[in-house]
Amino acid sequence: MHEYAFFLGCIAPNRYPGCEAAAIKTSRKLGIELLPLKGASCCPAPGAFGAVDLNVWYAMAARNIVLAEQMNKDITLICNGCYKSIYEVNERLKENDDLRDGVNEVLAEIDMEFKGSIDVYHLAELYYDPKICGVDKIRDSVTRPLTGTKIAVHYGCHLLKPIKERRFTDSENPMWIEELVDALGAESVQYRNKMQCCGAGGGVRGFDLAHSLDITNEKLINVTEVGADAITEVCPFCQLQYDRGQIEIKEKFGIEWALPVLHYNELLGLAQGMTPQELALDLHGIDCKPFLDKIR
Amino acid sequence: MAKGYNDPAMETRFQDRYYHSADNPEFTKEVERISRTIAHMCFQCGTCTGSCPSAPRSSYRIRKFVRRAVMGLEREALTDPDLWLCTTCYSCTDRCPRGIAPTDIIMAMRNLAFKWDIIPRNFLKTVQLIYTTGHGVPNNDVNRAARVKLGLEAEPETTHKYPEYIPGIQKIIDHYKMKENADRILAEGEH
Repeated sequence: MHEYAFFLGCIAPNRYPGCEAAAIKTSRKLGIELLPLKGASCCPAPGAFGAVDLNVWYAMAARNIVLAEQMNKDITLICNGCYKSIYEVNERLKENDDLRDGVNEVLAEIDMEFKGSIDVYHLAELYYDPKICGVDKIRDSVTRPLTGTKIAVHYGCHLLKPIKERRFTDSENPMWIEELVDALGAESVQYRNKMQCCGAGGGVRGFDLAHSLDITNEKLINVTEVGADAITEVCPFCQLQYDRGQIEIKEKFGIEWALPVLHYNELLGLAQGMTPQELALDLHGIDCKPFLDKIR
Repeated sequence: MAKGYNDPAMETRFQDRYYHSADNPEFTKEVERISRTIAHMCFQCGTCTGSCPSAPRSSYRIRKFVRRAVMGLEREALTDPDLWLCTTCYSCTDRCPRGIAPTDIIMAMRNLAFKWDIIPRNFLKTVQLIYTTGHGVPNNDVNRAARVKLGLEAEPETTHKYPEYIPGIQKIIDHYKMKENADRILAEGEH
């Protein structure tokens, strides 16, 4: 069993708890045990919080990392926004003495110290890594294949970009999450401008909702053009933007969409036989029933 | 001979010819310090704006902000509401042929704008929520009920379940006077 400290973030536990429940249950079947990271906070939000003062962003992300250092466990998480804060701050503090000294000065006030002793991974990247899990193991865990469904993958921004500060090699046309989707028996589909942002980040969703939704709407056009039955992503904030966003788009622009939006862990849960109730799919703004009917 | 007018009076008169009196050359240095990126290497090719999802639907031009950074156009940059339309997608950063991170230039400018009390209210409200609960998006009753139905505890294993961790977070935020300033700016905006 590979053990990791599970950093929850905000939107998964507090808006889409099915993502949290699914991550724990599906990972266990794949030999990955997610341990609670007690007392963790918001990552904090790289755009909405970092825009105010990056010094506080570094220090608060470091506090979350130190909690895992104290457990002597690497961190894994299921949100791209959290990934940017936790992964990037961890790497930057390891590499830059000036930043680390500044952060440790503040952390000393609460008897903490950033040591740089652990690593941070997105759960999706662990799933893809053959040393930890790998596509074959995912395929072997499927008891209810998602056969007959077409799924569009939204990677989200902060998982892969800036690519210079990531382990990944391609942020223009990556295909590895498609492999993870295909392993569930579904058919992943390619669409125009796949790597475009969902529109939510940087505090724009809160600052100018119409602007933010206009970006989302463009993505929805591109995804439905290729006949996708659902969007999948690995970021609850992207999920919120696509899911609640479709309702807001209807209110603001009068355009009606009904495209189910599922976190990869929710898809994996369905494919491993979890019920929609076990995934709290009823909390989604957009009804997942058309998608569920296809896999019945 | 060094380039010049060879006339002390003329040298004095034109010594600031590269900067308009309203400009601040220190601004470039500040932006580069906070963003940790080499803004001055920009040759204005526009790949950033061409990659930007916000550009086609607004007057926001990332290339223009980078130019403002390099030219020290502090007031022009910090007072432009377009500063807040960057979704921080980092497409410009991945594609910049000069290896600059324009996204981080925007983030640095936003930090500096906050020091001028220029900041949209939603950002300040996020600060308040994180200060009081530890979460930018806190739990609610509908969600608590749903969590319990899933077999999870009503409160996640975060500051929600362990509020004893919140004072530590508040100490970090107070160290930088972030909450204090956020409260003040929000209160001033209300009347």
